[in-house]
Amino acid sequence: MGETLGRIGLAMAVAFGAIAAGAGYWQVWRSAELSSAPDDAAVVAASRRVVRGEITDREGERLAWSVEDANGEPYRVYLSRSISGVVGYASRTYGSAGLERAFDAELSGVTSADPVQDLLKKFRADPSDPQAMRTTLLASLQQAAVKALGDDSGAVIMLDPRTGEVLVLASTPIYDASAIANPATSSATFAALAADDVGRPLLPRATQGRYVPGSVFKIVTAIAALGSGAVSGSTTFAEQPAAEEDGLLVTGFRVRDGHHPKTGSEALDFIEATEVSCNIWYALAGLETGGDRLVDWAGQLGFGEPLPFDLPTAISQVTGGDGPAPGGFLDDVELANAAFGQAETFVTPLQMALVTAAVANDGVIMRPRLVQAFSGKAGTTTISSEEWRRVLPARIADQITAAMVEAVNGDLGVGYTTGAQVPGLTVAGKSGTAELGGEGEPNSWFIGFAPAEDPEIVITVVVEHGGRGAARAAPVAGSLLAAWKAWAGR
Amino acid sequence: MLTAGPRIHPRLRRRELGLLAIAALGLTVGSVSLALTRLAGADDPLAPDAGLPLADPTALAIYLGALFAAHGLLVLTGRRTDEVLLPTVGLLGGISLLLMERLPQDLAGGLGLGTTQLVWLVLSIAVITVIAAFIRSDAWLRLYKYTWAAFGVGLLLLTFVLGREVNGQRLTLAIGPLSGQPSELLKVILVIFLAGYLSENRALLVEESTRVGPIRLPPLPYLAPMVAMWAIALSIVVVQRDLGAALLFFAVFLLLLYVTTGRASFVALGLLAFVAGGAGLYQAVEHVQTRVDIWLDPFATASGAGYQVVQALHAFARGGILGTGLGAGLPEVGGLPPGGIPALHTDFPFAALGEELGLIGVMAILGLYLVVIERGLRIAASAADDFRAILAAGLSLVIGVQAFIIAAGNLKLIPLTGITLPFISYGGSSLLTNGLVVGLLIALSDRGAQPPPPPTARRGLRRILDRGAP
Repeated sequence: MGETLGRIGLAMAVAFGAIAAGAGYWQVWRSAELSSAPDDAAVVAASRRVVRGEITDREGERLAWSVEDANGEPYRVYLSRSISGVVGYASRTYGSAGLERAFDAELSGVTSADPVQDLLKKFRADPSDPQAMRTTLLASLQQAAVKALGDDSGAVIMLDPRTGEVLVLASTPIYDASAIANPATSSATFAALAADDVGRPLLPRATQGRYVPGSVFKIVTAIAALGSGAVSGSTTFAEQPAAEEDGLLVTGFRVRDGHHPKTGSEALDFIEATEVSCNIWYALAGLETGGDRLVDWAGQLGFGEPLPFDLPTAISQVTGGDGPAPGGFLDDVELANAAFGQAETFVTPLQMALVTAAVANDGVIMRPRLVQAFSGKAGTTTISSEEWRRVLPARIADQITAAMVEAVNGDLGVGYTTGAQVPGLTVAGKSGTAELGGEGEPNSWFIGFAPAEDPEIVITVVVEHGGRGAARAAPVAGSLLAAWKAWAGR
Repeated sequence: MLTAGPRIHPRLRRRELGLLAIAALGLTVGSVSLALTRLAGADDPLAPDAGLPLADPTALAIYLGALFAAHGLLVLTGRRTDEVLLPTVGLLGGISLLLMERLPQDLAGGLGLGTTQLVWLVLSIAVITVIAAFIRSDAWLRLYKYTWAAFGVGLLLLTFVLGREVNGQRLTLAIGPLSGQPSELLKVILVIFLAGYLSENRALLVEESTRVGPIRLPPLPYLAPMVAMWAIALSIVVVQRDLGAALLFFAVFLLLLYVTTGRASFVALGLLAFVAGGAGLYQAVEHVQTRVDIWLDPFATASGAGYQVVQALHAFARGGILGTGLGAGLPEVGGLPPGGIPALHTDFPFAALGEELGLIGVMAILGLYLVVIERGLRIAASAADDFRAILAAGLSLVIGVQAFIIAAGNLKLIPLTGITLPFISYGGSSLLTNGLVVGLLIALSDRGAQPPPPPTARRGLRRILDRGAP
C-alpha cells in the first residue's frame, strides 16, 4: 500500500500546486488589471475619501480639480462644459464616467502607472498616492470644437497621427459635470440628464456613438481595394457613366446614384471617382474586392473589436455579418451599398479617425491615447507613443492622400468639400452625407488631415442631421484646422 | 476506550515544542501587525475598518495557552506519537483567530465573531488532545463499522427530513438548543466505514474482477457499496443542494479505493460515473446549473449571481504578491456596499487571507495543508495493519481534499461550493470535527514504544482483533 500512498501524496501535491498557480494567476498576472478596475472595492472606497489628482490639458491648464464641501469632504470641479464628453465626472453618489472613470485607480492613488512603485508602496506609512494626470487634450481647441458644433448633436476628434495623441475629443450635447460632482446639486442634475432620451447628453458620441458613415467609408473601401490589389489607381469601369443615369444592375437590383456635374460620359479613375464621390465606381470597386477582403481589411483598421483606447469604445461594423455571402454579407447588393457606406455599416467617429490616421501616417496606426503623464509623490511616469498596427504600404497611403487632396482642392470636387480648405494649409479630406432612410436630414461627415505633404493633425467631424457633408461638417473642419494652424504656428 | 495504563512515563516532545514556539512567534507578530494597522487607521473616520475595536491580545494569549497546555498533556502521557500535526493545525487555527478578530464582529451573534471562534478553537484543541492522549485502541471503530454507517445514514436522513433550510441549502440540523452541520461529522463516519469495509475486502477487490468485454470491473457483489456511495453523493446534491460535501465524499471514496486496490481502472470508472452524474445534475438541478454558469463566467453577472466570486477574485488581485497586511484589506461585509463578500467568514476566508497576506501567505497556508496530508499519509504508510492505514490515509485526505475544494472554488479553478476551509473557516461543527480527525491521526501514529496493555483484561477483544488482522 506504500506505493499507492506515495502516488496519492504526489497527486495531492500537484493539486495544491495547481491552486498556488491559480492564486499566482489572479494575484500576479491579473492583479494590476483587476485591482485598478473601476468596480474594484478599493478603487471605489478610495475615490470617496481621497483628494483626487488634478487633470490638466497638454499645456497645463486645469481641466478638473477638487474642492472641499462644508463637511470637509472633497468633490470635483471642472473647467467647463466643453470637456464633459471626454473628462466625464466623478461623483460620490453617481459613480464616474470618462477619464475620471477610466483612470479612477490612478487619480485616487490606489495604483500608479509603475508596478514597482505599487509593490514598494505597501511598505510606506501612507499608501495612497493620488496621481495628477496630464492629458494630451488642448482645452482651447476642444472649446472651439464644441462651439463649432453649436446646438447640433455630434462629435469632433482631432489627433496627431504621428504619436496617437488626441487633442480634441468633443461630443455634443455637453453637460455640466461640476453640477453632477457637487453634492448639493448632483441628484437633480443627474436625474435630468438621465431622463433626456432625445439629446442623450451622457452618451460620449466620439467613442460610443455608432453612425451610418456614408461616403467617408469610401476611404475604407479604397484601402481594401488598393491594398489588396483588386483595383489600381488607374482602374476605370466602362459601365460606370451609363449607370449614373440608369442605376447599376447588381443581381437584379439597381444601385442608383445621381450624375456628377463636370464629368460628362467619362469613365472615372480612382482619383476622379474620389473627388466627385462616385458611388457607382466605389460599388464596382467593392464588388471587385469582394466581401471577404473588404471585411478583413476593415478588421485590420479596427472594425469588429473594441479600439485600443483609454476610454471604452463601441464596435464598428462593415456588415451585420450573418449573411451567407463572403464576409457575412447578405448578397452582392449589400456589398455594393456597403462599399460606399450605405448598408448595414456603422462606425464610431474614433474608428473613422483611425482610418484617416492610417492614410495620414504612411499606413501606420499609432495607438490613440489621451494621457501624457502621471505624476505623484513617487515621481512622474510618462506614457510613450506606441505603434498599434501597420496596415498599408506607404505607396498606397500616398495614392489615397492624393485623391483626398483633390477631393478638397480639385476642380471637380468644388461644392463637395471645399469648406474644409484653409489658406496656407493643404488639407486632404473626404466628406460624407449619410442617408438615414425615412425623413430627417442626413448625418453630415468630414474626415481629413493636414498638412497633406507631412500630416500632423487628423480631424473627424460628424454632425447629426447636419445635412450634406459639404454644408455642415466640412466648414466645421475648416475652421478647426485654421484654429489648429494658429496654435501650431504653421 | 480510555485507558490510563499503569506504566505512564512523561516523555519530552522537543520537536513539537520547537514548532509550537515558531507558530506562536508568527502568530504574535501577526497580532502586533494587526494592532498597528488598527492604530494607524484609528484617527481616520473614513478608514475601511473605522469602528472596529483594537485587536485584543488576550484572545491570542488564551489560544496559545491552550496549545501549550495540549502539548504539556501529551508530554505527560508519554506516548510516542506525531509531533508535527499539533503545531501545524495550531498555526492554521491561530491564523483563523486573527482573521475572525479582524472581521466585523457582528457576523456572529452573542459573543461576537472573534470570541466565538476562540471558544470553538479551544474546544477543538481539547478534542485533539483528549483523543490523542487517551485513545489507544481502534477496536471501537473497527468492530462497529456498520453501526457507524447506519448512524451516518440516519444522521443524513434526519437532516433531509428535519434540516433547516439556510440560503437554499438544507444543511443545518437543530435538535433543541443544539444545532450543527451533520455533513461535517458524516465525513469522519464515512472514512471509518470505508476503512473497515475496504480493509476487510481488500484481497477480494485486488484479486478478482468481473470482465465485461475488455473492461475489468470490480467483482460485482462488491460493487454494491460503491454504487451506494455514488447514490448517497447524488442524493446529497439533490436533497441538500450541498455540492461541496458530495464532491468531498466522492473524491475521498475514490482516493481510498485507489489506495486500497492500486487499480487505476476503478478510479477511471468512478470518474466516469461522476461525469455522468454531474452532467445529469447540470441538466436537472437548477442550483447546479447556476453554480457552473457562475464558474464559467462570473464577470458576466458581476453585480448579480457572480458578485460573490468576482469580489473574491478582486480581493486576491488587491493582495498581489505581498498582500495588504493584516487588517488593511477590504473584506467588509456589512460596511461599504461594493466589495463586501457575502459569507466571507465561512466560505471565503481564503480570499480574505489572499488579500491581506498576499500570494506569499496563500502559499504558506497551502503548504501547511500539504504538511497535514504528508504527515497523515506517512502515518498510514507505517501503520500496523490495513485498517489503520486506510483510516489514517482517509482522515488526512478528508482535510486535504476539503481544503482543495474550497480553495480552488475561491480561485475559480472549479465551481464554488459552500464548504469550510478546515481550521480556518468560522464555525463549531467544522472545528470540532476537524479536531476529531487530527486527534485520531495523532492517536493512530502511536509507534507503540510501550508494551501493549496487559492482555488479561481484554482477551475477548484481542482475539477478534487478531483474527481481523492479516
